[in-house]
Amino acid sequence: MSTGTEGMKSLATDGLVGATTAGPALSGGAPNGKGRQGAARSRNVDVFTLWPIAVMVLIIIATSFTSSRFLSVFNFENILSQAAPLGIVTMGQCILLISGGLDLSVGYNISFASIITGLLLEHNAPLGVAVLAGIFAATAVGFVNGVLAAQGRAHPFIITLGMSIFLFGLDTQLTGGAPVNNMKGLYSAFGGYMPGGFPFFGLPSVTWPFLIVVLLTYGFLRWAPLGRRAYAIGGNEAAAYLSGIPVKRTKIYLYTLMGALVGITGMVLSGQINEASFNLAQNFELQSIACAVIGGTALFGGRGGAFRSLQGVALWGLVQNSILFIGFSSNYQQMSLGVIIILAVMVTRVQR
Amino acid sequence: MSDNGTGAPPVLLYAEHVSKHFPGVQALRDVDFTLERGEVHALVGQNGAGKSTLVKCISGVHPPDGGRILLDGREITTYTPKHAFDLGIAVVHQRPQLLPWLSVTENVMLGKLPARKGLMIDRRKADELTRDLLARFRLDIDPEVPVAYLSAPDRQQVAIAKALYRNAKLLILDEPTAALDAQRSAQLFALVEDLAQQGVGIIYVSHHLEEVFRLAHRVTVLRDGELVSTQPASELSQDEVVTLMAGHRITGSVVAESAAVSEEAVPALEFSHVETTLLHDVDFGVRQGEVVGVVGLIGAGGHDLAQVLFGLDRPTSGRVALQGRTYQPQGPKQAIAQGIFLVPEDPARDGLVPVLSVAQNVTLVSLKAVTRRGLLSLRREREVAEHYVGELSIATASVNTAVRNLSGGNQQKVLLAKALTSKAEVLVLEEPTQGVDVHAKAEIHRIVRDLASRGKAVMVVSTDIRDLLQFVDRMVALRAGRVVADVPARSTSYAQILDLTVGSVAVASA
Repeated sequence: MSTGTEGMKSLATDGLVGATTAGPALSGGAPNGKGRQGAARSRNVDVFTLWPIAVMVLIIIATSFTSSRFLSVFNFENILSQAAPLGIVTMGQCILLISGGLDLSVGYNISFASIITGLLLEHNAPLGVAVLAGIFAATAVGFVNGVLAAQGRAHPFIITLGMSIFLFGLDTQLTGGAPVNNMKGLYSAFGGYMPGGFPFFGLPSVTWPFLIVVLLTYGFLRWAPLGRRAYAIGGNEAAAYLSGIPVKRTKIYLYTLMGALVGITGMVLSGQINEASFNLAQNFELQSIACAVIGGTALFGGRGGAFRSLQGVALWGLVQNSILFIGFSSNYQQMSLGVIIILAVMVTRVQR
Repeated sequence: MSDNGTGAPPVLLYAEHVSKHFPGVQALRDVDFTLERGEVHALVGQNGAGKSTLVKCISGVHPPDGGRILLDGREITTYTPKHAFDLGIAVVHQRPQLLPWLSVTENVMLGKLPARKGLMIDRRKADELTRDLLARFRLDIDPEVPVAYLSAPDRQQVAIAKALYRNAKLLILDEPTAALDAQRSAQLFALVEDLAQQGVGIIYVSHHLEEVFRLAHRVTVLRDGELVSTQPASELSQDEVVTLMAGHRITGSVVAESAAVSEEAVPALEFSHVETTLLHDVDFGVRQGEVVGVVGLIGAGGHDLAQVLFGLDRPTSGRVALQGRTYQPQGPKQAIAQGIFLVPEDPARDGLVPVLSVAQNVTLVSLKAVTRRGLLSLRREREVAEHYVGELSIATASVNTAVRNLSGGNQQKVLLAKALTSKAEVLVLEEPTQGVDVHAKAEIHRIVRDLASRGKAVMVVSTDIRDLLQFVDRMVALRAGRVVADVPARSTSYAQILDLTVGSVAVASA
C-alpha cells in the first residue's frame, strides 16, 4: 500500500499499454513495420516482426507435402481473392488501432453498404450511382462513429459496438431479412468466386482494390501528416494534444476513412459473391482486428503498419486454405486461428 | 510524550545508520532517526534531501542498503510494503491509493471485512464498525459511498481510517495538507493531535514550516541525503530551520548578464491581476530575452499559471497579454499558433510519444514545416531532427531511436527541441531539470540561457529554488496562489526565497 504512485502507474501501464511505458526496449524499438527508413533502419528491424512470414513458410512446406495442388498458381489466386475483402478492412482497422481506437461496426457496415448498392441496383440505378451511394453510406456511418468517439465520453469499443447492433437492425429492416441476389455490374467486375473467373492483369480482379488499398495505407501511415497524427495520438494522447494536434478532428477523419474502406469492402465482397445481405461479412470486425494484431499492430495504439497487417491477413488466409488442403474440417480452421491470435499477442509481448 | 500511560517502552521506531544508494545518487547516507509513541516527529528538507527515501525505507518500499530499522525493539528484516503494513506502519500519501468503486467501508476494511460464518460479508456490521471508527476520530464520511465520489480531503481521511482500522502504531503523513483548504487542514491537525494523544507515533513530512511548528514535538532536517539535525521543536525557530535546510553553502547566482533585456520594452508576456480558482491577483511580466523563474511549493500556483498560458484553464478575471495583445487561447493548438509553447512537467506522460522516434517527436509540433505538397518529407524531417540533436547535444544512437530508450535528461532535451521547432516566442518550462543528473541539468541551464539570448521570453516554473537561482534573471515567488516576491535573482538568496515560499497560509488562517 505504500508503493509510490509512480510505481502503481507504471505497473498498470506496463500491464495494459506496454507501448507507452518507458521501460527498457529491445533494439529497434522505433515503430517498426513502417518499412525501411534508410539503411540504418533496416539493420534495426526486429526479427520478431517477421515471424508470420516464417510461420507461413513452414505451413507452405508442410502443406505442399500433403497435396500437390496446394502449390499452384490457381491456389495462390484462390487465397488472394478470398483474403482480399478482409484485407481491405484490416488496413482500416490497423490505422484505427494505431490511433488507439477500433471499429466493431465494420461487419454490419459492410453489409449496409452492399445493401444500399444492391437495393439501388435492383431499382435499376446506374452502377456508378449505386456504388457511390453504397460507399457514401458506409462513410457516413464511419463519420458518426468518429464524431462520437472524438467526444471521449465512451470508449470506441462501446460506441462501435452500439453502432454495430444498430446497423444489424437497420440492415435486416432494409432487406426484410432476404438477400439481394443480383449485384449486376459489380458481379461482372469482381465476381467469379473461383480464380480464373475474371482475371485482370493476371490476377483475380478483387485483388486489385486490395493491393491498391495496402499501398495507399502504407503511404498514408508513412507520409501523410494525418497518419503521423494517428501514431502520436495512439502513442500518447496527452502529449499529442499538448503538441497542438487537433485530436478530436483527427479521430473524426480516421473513423471516416475507415467508413470509406468499409464501403469499398462492401462493393468488393458483394460483387464477389453476387449477394447483398445483413450477414455478408459476419465476424469481419473481430477477424480484421485479429489480422492486424497478428501482424504486430499494438492493440492499444502507437505501433503498427500496413505491411505488418498484411502479413497477418496473409497468414490468416493461408491457414484457412491449408487446413482444407490437409483434409481437416473447417472446424480446425477456427481452432488454429484461435491459437494463432493468442500466440501472436504473446510473441509481441515477449518482444518488448 | 514519553509517558503515554501504556507502560510500553517509549521508543517506537529506531533507525540507525540508514543508507540508500540509487544509480548515480546517494539518496540517504548514515541517517539516524527515532520516533516515540505519541510523538509527532516532523521530517523536513528541500526536494531531493532524502525525506521520501527515508519514508520509503521505513515503510518497506525500498530496503535500506546499510543500517537497520527497529520497530518496538525488533529489527525489521523483511522489507515489503505489506509486511510494514502488517507491523503497523501505515503511510498516507497526498493522493492515497484506494479502490475507487468500492465503498468507504470496503476500502477501510479491505482484506479484513467482518464475515458471518467466515463466508458472507456482514455488510451491516462492517458499515457500523466503520462508522464508529470514523466517528471516533471525528471523520465525517458516509461509509456506504464509493470512494470515487469523495473529495480529495475525504479520501485522505479514508486512508487514515484504513490505517487506524489495522491498528497502525506508526502513521506517516506525506505532505498531508497539499490538497486541503484551511478548514480541512485545521481538522487534520486536530486529528493528528488526537492520535498522538492515543499513543500513535506520527512522522509528519511537510514543506510547510508553520504546520510543522504547530504540530511537531521534534524536527529532523535532512539535506542532500544526510541528517543535519534532530531537535525539539520548542528549541528551534522557523528561521533556524530554513538555514539548516539551506546549509552553509551560499548559492550564488551564475546568471550571465542578459543585455538583451530592456526595461522599457513591452513584456512579451504579461499577467495583470489574474484570478483563477487557485491564483489570486497575479501580476508580473516576462520580457524578451529574459528568463523568469516562478517558484513555489506544489500547489502554490505555478502549475496553474502554465495551464492558463496553454488554454487549459481560464482566468475568472484579470488579463493575460502576449506581445501587448490580450491573449485567451482555447487550447494548446491556439497557444502554439500564437507563439507560446509549454514544456510540460512530466515528459514521459505529457510531453513525448515514447514509442515514436526522436525525429518524429521533434517534428510533432511543426508537421507543417516538414510537409511538402501535402506529404511528409522524411528527409526534411531527419534534417530538422539532426539539426536539433546536434544543437542541443542530445545523446541518441540516431534520430530514429525511440524516445523511450533515451535517458531522462535527453528526453527533456527532445522536449526543448520541440519547443524550438514550434518557433514560439514565449516558452513555458515546467520543472525542466526534475529527475535529470547534474550534467544534464547544467546543459539544460545553458540551453535555456541560449534561448533567452536569442530573444525568447522564458518562464520556468519549478519548486527547486536552488536550481532556478543558477540560471534565471528574476525570481517570482508564489505562495498559495499569490505573488509574494518578484525580485532579480542576483539580489536574492536561497534562504530568502525559501522563507517566502514555505509559510503556510492554511495555518495562518486556521
